[in-house]
Amino acid sequence: MEIKSTDRDDFRRIYDENYHLLIQVIMHIVYNIEIAEDLTQEAFERFYVKNMTFPSEDDARYWLLRVSKNLALNHIRRNKREVEMVEKVRHIPSAAVETHDGAEAAVEAENRREVRAAIEALPENLRMVIQLKEYSGLDYRSIAKVLGISETNVKVRVHRARKKLEEILSTEDRDVY
Amino acid sequence: MCIDSQMLSAYLDGELKEPYRTQVEEHLEHCAACRKHLEDMRSLDRRIKDADFPEEMLMRSKDRIFDLLDSKYFQNGRKVSFIRRRLEISLPSLITAAAAVVFIFIGGFMFFGTSSDQTEDILPSFQLQADSSNVRFVSDSTGLENYTLEEILQYLDSKGYKVDISIKGLQPLEAGEAVPAL
Repeated sequence: MEIKSTDRDDFRRIYDENYHLLIQVIMHIVYNIEIAEDLTQEAFERFYVKNMTFPSEDDARYWLLRVSKNLALNHIRRNKREVEMVEKVRHIPSAAVETHDGAEAAVEAENRREVRAAIEALPENLRMVIQLKEYSGLDYRSIAKVLGISETNVKVRVHRARKKLEEILSTEDRDVY
Repeated sequence: MCIDSQMLSAYLDGELKEPYRTQVEEHLEHCAACRKHLEDMRSLDRRIKDADFPEEMLMRSKDRIFDLLDSKYFQNGRKVSFIRRRLEISLPSLITAAAAVVFIFIGGFMFFGTSSDQTEDILPSFQLQADSSNVRFVSDSTGLENYTLEEILQYLDSKGYKVDISIKGLQPLEAGEAVPAL
């Protein structure tokens, strides 16, 4: 079904269906909920302002994902130092802790920190693919569309990223015990 | 022969197409090593997925941001952006204004005639013509050639510059001590 970005009903539907996906993808790049919300809003504003017609909801989704990904990557490139400073102050997002009891939250936060460090250690071409795979629920075909690479390439990169992550995370465990 | 890990990775994601999927499943039935490999991969995958952010944090501002966008772009249920809406109003009024100006201009000639005196009254700017009486040279030649060398030197001296002048081909009087000027 055709999607017109300035049509209110279309806009509402695309917003409802993609907000979670976009903010999740952005969040895994910027790791700051306020910034992620700003960038998500920015992505939807661009969607409206562009005044485009998409052949299907999927095409609108791919477009939004591409824009969101680029907005987030640009943001961290621009504010690399600033982001690092913010992160030092608030390592764990506070909202994560409130809903669980202390011990569970601590384990969760620890895991998040380790996984995040491992993902950040990946080269950029692997990082983006594995993040989209693990945190957006998109299949290989959609990831290929978003990133402008082939499906086979996605498969190869997902596998390489997993291998690397396994190496990094298992070395970490050995250090602990 | 065991399954290569790239294939297992695709199998884990449910992205392996037939007939490979069935082949992998059959192999897994009797190969403990590959089962272990797949299990490791799965637990790593779970661990990565567990590092996702909590739902309530991600979604906390969804409605707020939508309301914001809604009021910014779709206020009063209209589907036109404010720029276009403003254009719709201003275009006819612009034409009306232009027509009024033309009407008054032509009307001036129609009602007051076109004798030069009256034209001067209505449109004083028409009187101006580029003859010698009303053209004035704005720039005067104020180049250095209007000053004598002495005046220039005095001026520079008063500003604190140390000026050394020499004439090509002439030696200073005390050529032995003074450094020859270039």
